[in-house]
Amino acid sequence: MSFLQFAFMQRALVAAVLVGAAAPAIGTFLVQRRLSLMGDGIGHIALTGVALGFLLGTAPVLTAIVVSIAGAVTIELIRERGRTTGDVALALLFYGGIAGGVLLIGLSPGGSSATLVSYLFGSLSSVRPIDLVVIAGLSVAVIGVVAVFGRELFAVCSDEEVARVSGLPVRFLNILVAVTAAVTVTVAMRVVGLLLVSALMVVPVATAQQLSASFRATLLGACAVGVVASVGGLVLAFYADVAPGASTVVLALGAFLLGAVGSRLRPVR
Amino acid sequence: MSVFALHRGCVTLGGREILHDVSMTVDEGEFVAVLGANGSGKTTLVRTLVGLVPLAAGDLDIFGTPIARFRDWPRLGYVPQRLAVGGGVPSTVREVVASGRTGRARRLRRLGRDDQHAIDHALEDVGLSHRAKDAVATLSGGQQQRVLIARALAGEPDVLVLDEPTAGVDADSQDTLAGALGHLSRQGGSVVLVAHELGPLAGLIRRAVVMGGGRVLSDGPPPTPEGHHSHEGHVHTHAHLSDEPQRTSVLEPRTFDR
Repeated sequence: MSFLQFAFMQRALVAAVLVGAAAPAIGTFLVQRRLSLMGDGIGHIALTGVALGFLLGTAPVLTAIVVSIAGAVTIELIRERGRTTGDVALALLFYGGIAGGVLLIGLSPGGSSATLVSYLFGSLSSVRPIDLVVIAGLSVAVIGVVAVFGRELFAVCSDEEVARVSGLPVRFLNILVAVTAAVTVTVAMRVVGLLLVSALMVVPVATAQQLSASFRATLLGACAVGVVASVGGLVLAFYADVAPGASTVVLALGAFLLGAVGSRLRPVR
Repeated sequence: MSVFALHRGCVTLGGREILHDVSMTVDEGEFVAVLGANGSGKTTLVRTLVGLVPLAAGDLDIFGTPIARFRDWPRLGYVPQRLAVGGGVPSTVREVVASGRTGRARRLRRLGRDDQHAIDHALEDVGLSHRAKDAVATLSGGQQQRVLIARALAGEPDVLVLDEPTAGVDADSQDTLAGALGHLSRQGGSVVLVAHELGPLAGLIRRAVVMGGGRVLSDGPPPTPEGHHSHEGHVHTHAHLSDEPQRTSVLEPRTFDR
């Protein structure tokens, strides 16, 4: 437990617990809606936001939040129009986000693509006290959204048309999911990095659902898997000196494989 | 009061007019079947009634209120045509049925005793109480259709609108479905359903609206196996099984394939 002596590791651990719980919580609704890759799309867009922060000389997290929320809402509106499928809308934003990020970082003074690496794969040692406050506040907000609107979000993500007929504020709820996912991406950016943030939103859900018959149990199980993977990944990253995003996702995938074996032994009812 | 009053409704989808000048009123307590061939506009008609498809022209009142000002949506129950229930995450039968209660539930509150009773009753009505804790994906197609109906019933609607509830559903599930709809009807609820083949529902239906080419071809008592053959706009056929009149097939699909 020698890693606990370091103040940056203490901060990183708190961040890992919060992100590990928040990302799968909103991720469960994305998977329910069959938009598992939405987190990935938002992550790519957030890269443009980070680069914009460097270019403007402001905090990259702030610009990342603004740009990724705008991107997520755009995805939602395109999907709602139904002209372009959600699939194509995501693809367009993926490429636009990466290209925009690399372009803007090249334009910013002293910036290069290497600057973006810590954002792409996570760098826990860089979590400063002020970052922790932001991560904590936003994580609580994400979990709060799931707690307050969970029932309605389940109805909308399960069957949008039926939810509409029963009078639920479908558009508001859809945008709420998109914005919450965008916030989660920027929160998790420091811990697992933008390229792997979607993995923390989706892999724990895929793991939990193998052993569960219910949505509720899947959601709670996914949060548990997420916390274990992100804390474990952090410790692994500390000792092995690797990027925490990679070790976290490898652990989550390991849990998925264990779950796959487990579900063979104990079939879901 | 009428449940639905559609007056001279036109619907355009993707630049093509699908419904032409359709007028149709459903009164409280009525049990109406909307019949017609594939592409006749019957699904678009019911989707218009529940507000999923906007009117390009004409007026629609729901429970006496113009649709633009209508807010009492929980009074409507809608059962869409679905191949399977649910999304990418496993859900139990009870979770899916309970989601039909969301429109009546309060935010930040747990579901109350009334809500739980309504969900229990809906499950009983479709004969799935014993499967409540099972993952919905483990159910047969007919049972999943019953889950969708229970989801609509859990909201305790005053009118239930169903799109092809009997399509691809086994005989047992059709009987259970007929029982649940009969129960709702006896309690004063209204039912509007799209059907290709009525099966055990035939005995419940008091009125049939026959669609063709985006217009109402006929509107009146449901076609019976005998007589009516010379009737203009006659679109029904029957199974020609004189020993099995209760299994009247009002619409044999092949009659309609144009």
